[in-house]
Amino acid sequence: MSFGAGFLRHPDLFPARRAGEPWGDRAVALDVAGGPYLLSGLAATQEEALRRRFGPLCGTAEAGGTATRVFRAPAADFLPIDTRGWEYTLDLDPAPDALRVAGLRLMARLDWTPALAGALWTPETAGEEWASVCENYLRLLTAHRLLEEGGALLHSAGVSDGESAWLLLGPSGAGKTTASRLCLAGGGTVLSDDLNAVLFGEGGARLRKLPFTGDLGERAGGGPRSVPLRAVLRLAQGEEEGLRPLSPAAALASLVAAAPFVNRDPFRREALLAVLERLARAVPAWEVTFSREGRLWAILQSIPP
Amino acid sequence: MIAITPATVLQRRSDVRYRRIEGEAVVLRQSAAEVLVLNEVGASVLELADGELSVGEWIDALAGEYDGDSASLARDVLAFAAELAEAGLLEPVAGGPEP
Amino acid sequence: MSLARVVASAWRENLLFSVLLELTYRCNLDCFFCYNDLGLRGEPLSREQYLRLLADLREMEVMNLTLSGGEPLAHPDFLALGARARELGFVVRIKSNGHALRGELARRVRDEVDPFLIEVSLHGATAATHDRQTRVPGSFERLLANLRELRELGLRVKLNSTLTRWNEGEIEGMFALADSLGLPLQVDPEVTPRDDGGREPLQVAPSPEGVLRLFRLQFARGRAAEEGRPEVRVARGGDDGTVPTPVHKHCGAGSSGIAIDPFGNVYPCVQWRRPVGNLHEKGIGEIWRGSAGLAEVRGLTVQVKERIGAEGPGSHLLNFCPGSAAAHAGSSLELYPAAVQRREILEQVMVEEEKRTLLPVVR
Repeated sequence: MSFGAGFLRHPDLFPARRAGEPWGDRAVALDVAGGPYLLSGLAATQEEALRRRFGPLCGTAEAGGTATRVFRAPAADFLPIDTRGWEYTLDLDPAPDALRVAGLRLMARLDWTPALAGALWTPETAGEEWASVCENYLRLLTAHRLLEEGGALLHSAGVSDGESAWLLLGPSGAGKTTASRLCLAGGGTVLSDDLNAVLFGEGGARLRKLPFTGDLGERAGGGPRSVPLRAVLRLAQGEEEGLRPLSPAAALASLVAAAPFVNRDPFRREALLAVLERLARAVPAWEVTFSREGRLWAILQSIPP
Repeated sequence: MIAITPATVLQRRSDVRYRRIEGEAVVLRQSAAEVLVLNEVGASVLELADGELSVGEWIDALAGEYDGDSASLARDVLAFAAELAEAGLLEPVAGGPEP
Repeated sequence: MSLARVVASAWRENLLFSVLLELTYRCNLDCFFCYNDLGLRGEPLSREQYLRLLADLREMEVMNLTLSGGEPLAHPDFLALGARARELGFVVRIKSNGHALRGELARRVRDEVDPFLIEVSLHGATAATHDRQTRVPGSFERLLANLRELRELGLRVKLNSTLTRWNEGEIEGMFALADSLGLPLQVDPEVTPRDDGGREPLQVAPSPEGVLRLFRLQFARGRAAEEGRPEVRVARGGDDGTVPTPVHKHCGAGSSGIAIDPFGNVYPCVQWRRPVGNLHEKGIGEIWRGSAGLAEVRGLTVQVKERIGAEGPGSHLLNFCPGSAAAHAGSSLELYPAAVQRREILEQVMVEEEKRTLLPVVR
């Protein structure tokens, strides 16, 4: 299917430039890894919904950071979609200096001209519907910004004991949420059970908390913001619990599979591979087999630093 | 040449656009990209051609507005109606009396 | 009775005749030299406000309604407003980039809006040049395919182009392309600053050689054709408009025409970006009758007439636009370089043409 045909009534009218009629003149700056992210052109109700969802991560807009202009789009631009049993996806159309995005009640584009700037068109103006649209866009934006910073956004569970962190990789259904719960029960904290940011700082790779969570709540509160990364683990479920070392190549493969949006972008894949290769060499990788009633947290702690 | 009588019912063709400017009418026939300017009588005739009134009824309607003898008004209106039909601005209404 | 006399009358009596609506600044292309002020803010006009505007314009006997943008088809109510405009008897022109004008949408435009004319932008004779200006790869091929489709649908289309440094070398090819498509091509030899004053578009202003080449080509084509291919032929005898009608204004900006942006701001014309009122505050009738800004603009067009007239014979060769002047020089009365250059180049071409006609004819 051609770009946008699954979501948009008129894919031909997809905006080619970051222009249109804004919803209002409000703006917020989000303090999220790779940010700040400045969202402007908001209606008061949109600003309200963002402050409710992102709490203290929402600040007033100042200069600097990555700008996204928000514009009106009529509801009629979007095809009705039966979301029951539908797994959320975004339709992406990458180009050398741009990325077009179509999704549920959203059209967006990222442009590198040459600095990254974005635009979002949506009919949603308030509440959960607007906050979801915004969050789905932000996940994508964060993935690209982290890449620019030599980091990556990874589908993963991030767990920590306050001093270091473990990155748990696995596709949907591999048990990231279960693993997170087990670690919580064992006394650890969970940065996120769905998406985490990896960045390199002095002292090596660090895991940074993101306000995007899966089934486990709490977006903004609790736990350290950024923790040194001790190990990368590929999750496997089974009765015989244990650890098996992963080669850097195997680790790299798991990491690439876990990097949403960018891993299917031919124009940014090289940059992604470079980042993830660096990570695979910098941090030891294991495959951990765990059971739902088992001792995952203890197993993680047993990994030598 | 279409024969127009007072019994004929005419309407503006669907591609005709016009506006009254100081009594006159500026008329565009879209399909031919042709612009005409009509004087007051012509403009009134064009406006009256709504597909309901007959040419005779136009003459009656206009008689009250214009001085001068009714015979020459009737002549003018019939001549204009024929001319505008010939110019492709007006057409007989289907099912109306035979011209 | 001629159209020219009616237009002159409209200018003199301040009878609103033509309105251009910029419905949205959203666009599905990203032309480098686009003049839209993308930083503009405000409350967009609602559908109800547009419908009320159309009703008011009908009452004022406005004839011409041009739907523009950005890309007007991207406005959520484009078809509804176009259909209402048709119902109300306006002569509707659509200024579109043509990129989405295919399939069902094109059919709906024909069936529901029935426009007099669709004006589509052509930026080059080749995909490389056209796409360079639109900054959307594939836009040239798409345009050609859509133009064929529009012709099959029976829609009347005209090609508009702006001469730039990038396409001035293929101007012959552009006319040949237009000829092969059976469409008229109108080329504007000037690039103007953006409506927010930004001068980046001027970076691609055509060279004097490019403008000269265009004018020579246009003269040659005029000679070659027995009759031109005018957009509108004026029919019916009497005064055929060749006798100049005396007018005391330079143009109809603010006197017979206006432009309105997506936020309800009213301007004397699409090029003269001096707001004279806003539809969120007052109805169009009230603005037309009572705006101090419009009164000033009407006075200015009289002054412009005198100012340009003082340039002597050949002053019309300047093709002076007070709106462009205001954008270039900050004053609607000041000559700007593109106008001066245009006159010079036209005078040169006209001298060449004269010499040509003095050559002995072999019988």
